[in-house]
Amino acid sequence: MRTFFLASLRTHIRRYVAAAIAVTVAVAFVVGVGVLTTGAQTGIMAGFGAPFRNSDYVVSKLRNEDAFKLVERHGENASPLGRAMLTVRAGGRSYPEMGVGPVAASTDLRWQKLTSGRFPERKGEAVVDLWDAQNWDVSVDDRIRIGEGATAADFTVVGIVQAPSPVAQASVYVTWPQLVRWADDPSLGVYTVTVRGAVGPVPEDAKVQTPEQAIADRTAQLQNGVDTWSLLLLLFAGIAVFVSILVIANTFSILLAQRLRDFALLRCVGATRRQVTSSVRREAAVVGLLASLAGVLVGIGLGYGLIALIKSLSPITPIASPPLPAPWLLGGLAIGLTGTLVAAWLPIRRVVRVSPLAALRPDTATDPRTASGRARLALAAFLLIAGLLLLVLAMVWHSTVLMLAGGGSMFIGVLLFGPVLIPRLIQITGTRFGPIGQLATKNAVRNPRRTATTTASLLVGITLITAVLTGINTTSTALNEELDGQHPVDAALVSTGKPFSDDLLDKVRRTSGVDLAITVDGAVATVSGLDKPIPVIAAPDAKQVARDGGAFAQVEPGVIRLDESAFRQLRLQAGDKVKVAVGERRAVLRVSIGTGWGLEAIVAPETLAQLTDSSAPRAIWIRASSDADSARLVGDLGDLAAPAGANVYDQLEARETENAPLRILTWAIVALLGFSVAIALVGIANTLGLSVLERVREHALLRALGLTRRQLRQMLAAEAVLLSLVAALLGTVIGIGFAWVGYETFVKQALTNATMQVPWPLLGAVLLTAALAGLLASVLPARRAARVTPAAGLSFE
Amino acid sequence: MTGQRAAVETVAASARNLTKIYGQGETQVYALRGIDLDLPRGKFTAIMGSSGSGKSTLMHCLAGLDKASDGKVTVGGTDLGSLDDDALTVFRREHIGFVFQSFNLLPMLTAFQNIVLPLELGGRRVDNAATERAHMLAETLGVADRLGHRPSEMSGGQQQRVAIARALITGPDLLFADEPTGNLDSTTSAEVLGYLHKSARELGQTVVMVTHERDSAAYADGVVTLEDGRIV
Repeated sequence: MRTFFLASLRTHIRRYVAAAIAVTVAVAFVVGVGVLTTGAQTGIMAGFGAPFRNSDYVVSKLRNEDAFKLVERHGENASPLGRAMLTVRAGGRSYPEMGVGPVAASTDLRWQKLTSGRFPERKGEAVVDLWDAQNWDVSVDDRIRIGEGATAADFTVVGIVQAPSPVAQASVYVTWPQLVRWADDPSLGVYTVTVRGAVGPVPEDAKVQTPEQAIADRTAQLQNGVDTWSLLLLLFAGIAVFVSILVIANTFSILLAQRLRDFALLRCVGATRRQVTSSVRREAAVVGLLASLAGVLVGIGLGYGLIALIKSLSPITPIASPPLPAPWLLGGLAIGLTGTLVAAWLPIRRVVRVSPLAALRPDTATDPRTASGRARLALAAFLLIAGLLLLVLAMVWHSTVLMLAGGGSMFIGVLLFGPVLIPRLIQITGTRFGPIGQLATKNAVRNPRRTATTTASLLVGITLITAVLTGINTTSTALNEELDGQHPVDAALVSTGKPFSDDLLDKVRRTSGVDLAITVDGAVATVSGLDKPIPVIAAPDAKQVARDGGAFAQVEPGVIRLDESAFRQLRLQAGDKVKVAVGERRAVLRVSIGTGWGLEAIVAPETLAQLTDSSAPRAIWIRASSDADSARLVGDLGDLAAPAGANVYDQLEARETENAPLRILTWAIVALLGFSVAIALVGIANTLGLSVLERVREHALLRALGLTRRQLRQMLAAEAVLLSLVAALLGTVIGIGFAWVGYETFVKQALTNATMQVPWPLLGAVLLTAALAGLLASVLPARRAARVTPAAGLSFE
Repeated sequence: MTGQRAAVETVAASARNLTKIYGQGETQVYALRGIDLDLPRGKFTAIMGSSGSGKSTLMHCLAGLDKASDGKVTVGGTDLGSLDDDALTVFRREHIGFVFQSFNLLPMLTAFQNIVLPLELGGRRVDNAATERAHMLAETLGVADRLGHRPSEMSGGQQQRVAIARALITGPDLLFADEPTGNLDSTTSAEVLGYLHKSARELGQTVVMVTHERDSAAYADGVVTLEDGRIV
């Protein structure tokens, strides 16, 4: 048997290549996730503990005054951790609410990493964080001012630092005696002090820990975050593994079916069933092992490569090249090996049932039409019905757990139904393809189980991608509508000085990125409860530019509406009565609060007429075009506003930051699912390649009968496109169905105004990609098939 | 198309100094060593020879399934050497029919679909005339009642007769049969050979059969015997 095993391995190993690639990709995915996760952990750990590292004790849960006393008592041997939030003025601009923290007196306890210059030693010296220095355009020897009013002080920047830990991160660091200057500022918080040597007495409710304990305490939460992420990534890795198991199982079914006569002959000459089984199983083990080893190597390369890339793109990310994470590597290897063996289990069992006589019968064994067992169909029907019921219940009870169970059950039902369902669908689709397409269709459906397994792998990926894209599109459309209400005007120019000229409106309209712009008339008024005069305007034309259809600007007479986001601290509340005065004319108005247009207060036209007879353009409201580059637009508007003495209020950037996470999430998920789609396409190429091998004689016959090389390639391409297109179509339908269930189950709960939004163009693109990828998958097999000369395929002497 | 020429020409296909060499250098094998041959139109010719005599190679070259290393093959007035792969394929489709020893039919198509396949490959519509012709051929060959069946549901003899019907559907200049009875018992063999003979006599079809059995060759109008790549 050993000779047979080695000979089979030598002969057939090349046919396993495609299947091995599937396993390699899946294992590489798992190992890559492992390396990245470990890297993130190492990085976080390396930097996180820095503020505690060289101390003997960490005293936390202090009140400010206790911390002050502790630092006073220990002097050089204490390092306070904390910050005050103060306004920093640098390069002529003000930055409110920037963190200002202390630098320890002893060099051992200083945890910030100096990237240039030196640490502050005396009064009037400060170091600035690398990122803030870049933002403010500040470098060593520049001057900055910290604080406002009486406690403001000027500093010279003597160094630039990096903070490896978020624990006590600040934008500017000064010596402790200088920070004490803001001891009475309410924003100052110093709750932790690290100490070298004995701590001595501490207040009762303070906590004294060793640095190790303190680090462990504080990283637990971060660690959870990393774990959650790696769990999520592993979910996608799991999908990839599942898909590659389908591919491997299919490969074994096909290869073993092709070798049926070999096995029968072996049985004829006296091999026991057990001997045949173990020989084939060892083959599977060798393939699994080699593919998994390759996967581990690729995964290591991928993981470390990505870490290096992240480091070079964004040096501050807390990620570091970890030592090789042995558990992950072994885990990946085990998953690959086990997956291969599990996938090969059924095909092997099926093939060793062959009777020795099969070897003696004429050559009909290479094309066994596999029937679907009744039990299988019954199970499929049960799972479909049960899944449907669960999904209905999930929608009624809004239960996510039921939804996942029902979805899973239904999907497995569909997969089991595949051998019946998929060939029918392929036949329906294939009838539109002409005579070559007819041949391709017949080839595609001749072995229903093979067809079903091949398409199943792609079906998984496309279903999930469709569901995710539709679900997220629905959510983001609803969120966008909500954002429209919160940010009705994209950008506004507002003047509290001179009214705007028509000339300025023209200039604004000509600015690139501006879709529409209108002037809004009003007068500058003083409002009781506000420090400064503001423009009070009436905007009957708001609907021209407003994203919410102008609803925000419809104000009843006697009401004044303020944008709470335009004021740093609005002490007024909805319902308050305020006195509004323009020159000598006065009115008492009721306050209404809104958000998202700017400094100007909105009143009804009647109210404005009551306050002034000479209203003039006080604001220009702008609607940006959909392709506008918001940063540039706001910059351009700023350049126009400055000479007119106006301020720019923009909602674009706020909107974008609110939108960005969802967009990033979408594409991250699609990219992760892309792995399993890629594996599925390898699977289609693989099935086609193996089918081509067993159809050499058919192809030769067709060529002899007058099929040109080109037509032969077209036939195989049509077969691959049919397989992938049908899988993609079915996946799209099921995916939209799942998305709808998800929408009914939990999206509607969270966002009441959400309506189902199917992103047709995007799904169309997915379909097209699948079809093109199918075409791509057929290239190599078709070339190989076309190379066979008609005579070569027909010689059997 | 070739009807007019057929009236004046009595040669359906010819080979001049046909040579086929497999391999290169020391491993060179001469399969054919300068064959000169004319195949008479409307006759049933048998090419005989033992295994390895080169008879199958000769047929492959005559049928445009394989390129000759040297020499010239003419079929219905066309020099096959002057055609590239695509042109050769189209030529085969229109002018040559095949019946092989086994594996003649595509397993996923029915007998009828197999018969009209050459028409479909040529992009022709299977119209009423073609359907009628297919039925007529099936009738002549005694497989009219099997047209809806797949190859796996037919006996070996029936499969071969369907293959003959398929080879005749385009009205080819030449019908090649490569050991058409190799897989059949003697009764069925006689039947299939009888039909080939009938095709030549009744339909005026030029038939060339390759065989190693003397009994089979007896059905032919003429016999060409090959040995070691030469006609003897």
